[in-house]
Amino acid sequence: MESMNKLGRILLVEDDPKDVELTLTALEEYNLANEVIVARDGEEALEYLYSRGKFKTRSSDNPAVMLLDLKLPKVDGLEVLKQVKSEEKLRMIPVVVLTSSKEEKDMVASYKLGVSAYVVKPVDFHEFVNAIKELGIFWAVINEPPPGSVRK
Amino acid sequence: MARPKLQLRIAQSPVLRYGLAVLSVSVALGGALLIERFQLRNITLFLFAIAVAAWYGGTGAAVLALLLSCISFAHFFVEPSHSIPYFILFALFAWLVSRFSAVRRRVEAELLAERTQQGSLLNLTHDSIFVRDMDFIISYWNLGAQELYGWSAEDAIGKHSRQLLQTMFPAPIEDVHAELLRTGRWEGELQRTTAHGTTVVVAARYALRRDEQARPVAILETSNDITERKHREQEIENLNLELANRSTALESMNKELEAFAYSVSHDLRAPLRHIAGFTELLQKKISSVVDEKSNRYLVMILDSAKRMGNLIDDLLAFSRIGRAETQKTLFSLTQLVREALTEVRQDVEGRNIVWKVGALPDFYGDRSMLRLVLVNLISNAIKFTRTRTQAEIEIGCSDGNSDDLVVFVRDNGVGFDMKYVNKLFGVFQRLHDSDAFEGTGIGLATVQRIVHRHGGKVWAEGVVDGGATFYFSASKT
Repeated sequence: MESMNKLGRILLVEDDPKDVELTLTALEEYNLANEVIVARDGEEALEYLYSRGKFKTRSSDNPAVMLLDLKLPKVDGLEVLKQVKSEEKLRMIPVVVLTSSKEEKDMVASYKLGVSAYVVKPVDFHEFVNAIKELGIFWAVINEPPPGSVRK
Repeated sequence: MARPKLQLRIAQSPVLRYGLAVLSVSVALGGALLIERFQLRNITLFLFAIAVAAWYGGTGAAVLALLLSCISFAHFFVEPSHSIPYFILFALFAWLVSRFSAVRRRVEAELLAERTQQGSLLNLTHDSIFVRDMDFIISYWNLGAQELYGWSAEDAIGKHSRQLLQTMFPAPIEDVHAELLRTGRWEGELQRTTAHGTTVVVAARYALRRDEQARPVAILETSNDITERKHREQEIENLNLELANRSTALESMNKELEAFAYSVSHDLRAPLRHIAGFTELLQKKISSVVDEKSNRYLVMILDSAKRMGNLIDDLLAFSRIGRAETQKTLFSLTQLVREALTEVRQDVEGRNIVWKVGALPDFYGDRSMLRLVLVNLISNAIKFTRTRTQAEIEIGCSDGNSDDLVVFVRDNGVGFDMKYVNKLFGVFQRLHDSDAFEGTGIGLATVQRIVHRHGGKVWAEGVVDGGATFYFSASKT
């Protein structure tokens, strides 16, 4: 596939290993997962974004999209979002909230913080796979990422 | 009535007043000249005697005194032939004095009657009435006061009212007196102690009495016992407070429950997604290598997961209705029914249904919630007429004679046993097995919750295999 060369890097922030596996499986199914970085909590996500801790030596470019769960250990999703959007060199990263929560106040808070999309994880696996596929295709392939993001 | 009027006229007119003086002196002069002319004897003592008899003894005594005076005079002082003018003078005097005496007696009797009548009238009332002067000394005490406070008039009159009754005022006594002096009246609730030592609450009204110089002299107090009423008021107040507390507690409990239901539904979605997801992945991997039975098990797991997903979604929607604010507007029910019918059109494909939609009024309420009510009721009607070759579904409004309007959805479907009518509107309650008619058992609970939030009622009528009618009512305004 020619588009393979242009795949963006995806930062998946998700604490539930089963959800991580299902998401990766869905991305794999459409060959969208050649570079997915998984952060298991908000702190790890921030470490990656700021190239701190175990991500100290990562390449300096930003991910093409960040898929962000809201319910996270240590630093929760909204807090991560707030920090990203207030940091000059991170604020252009497209952030998609990927969560189980249909709670209106979560949605309102996310959009107010400038999230690019808000996706509720469907219970049905087909729908889940479709959602992940479409997200992957749109953000890692179709969407032109901001300058400074990596494209392989 | 003529007499007082005459007196009034004399008193008011200077001409009459001075005329009367001139007239009486003229009469006295005439009398004096007459006495001198006839060289009359001293009659003063007899006149005095007649006057005393007439004044204190009445007419009979006056006549007797007159006769005795005449006889005495004729016997001891003058010859009978000369005594005629004396007799006339005695008679006139006796007549005058007894007239005065009669008038006095009548006035006294009238006054007495009036006083007795007033006193007994004041004793007839249930109210307690007493009069005290500005130093709180009681001067009048009626029977009502005796009944209420336990002190008799003899006990009370002359006593200091505040000390006797241990009165507690709702305001400083200076303020009470100030208002009394300013307006002449005061009213308020007083707490007092009776002769038996019990505490009573009375509603008292004060009226101030002033003398001719407008100086305050006495206070008339009318009061009645409101102890019972105060007790009941206190009881009602306590009950209301308790009710308010309970309803606050219920409200917060309800909120907690809603939050709980939401969080449960919410947290259940993740493991469910995993069950469905991994089962499907497993199915993909092994369906070609395992037997048919194993494949069927996988399908059943997926079916159940899907069904549970629907249950959770419905429960979430149900919980959201309980928490959402209603946004009320006036809208056309006819239009809303049309929209609901469009929404369910997938369910009626391939079905033979005769629709009867009656005239529907405008409705004041939350449009999207009411739409959910109609969709639920119509979906139910469609679902439970599935076994009919020709289904009939009627949507109408019975205006009734009350302030409520009643909307109904009637079908000729499988109906239900009225014995279970109370179960219809409960969450997860179903009257049919899910093989025959699918569903989560939340639809009618949602309907009920929405209608209740609009202050209305829901009810249903049904006959097994004879159709069902679902009603909901709502206020017309």
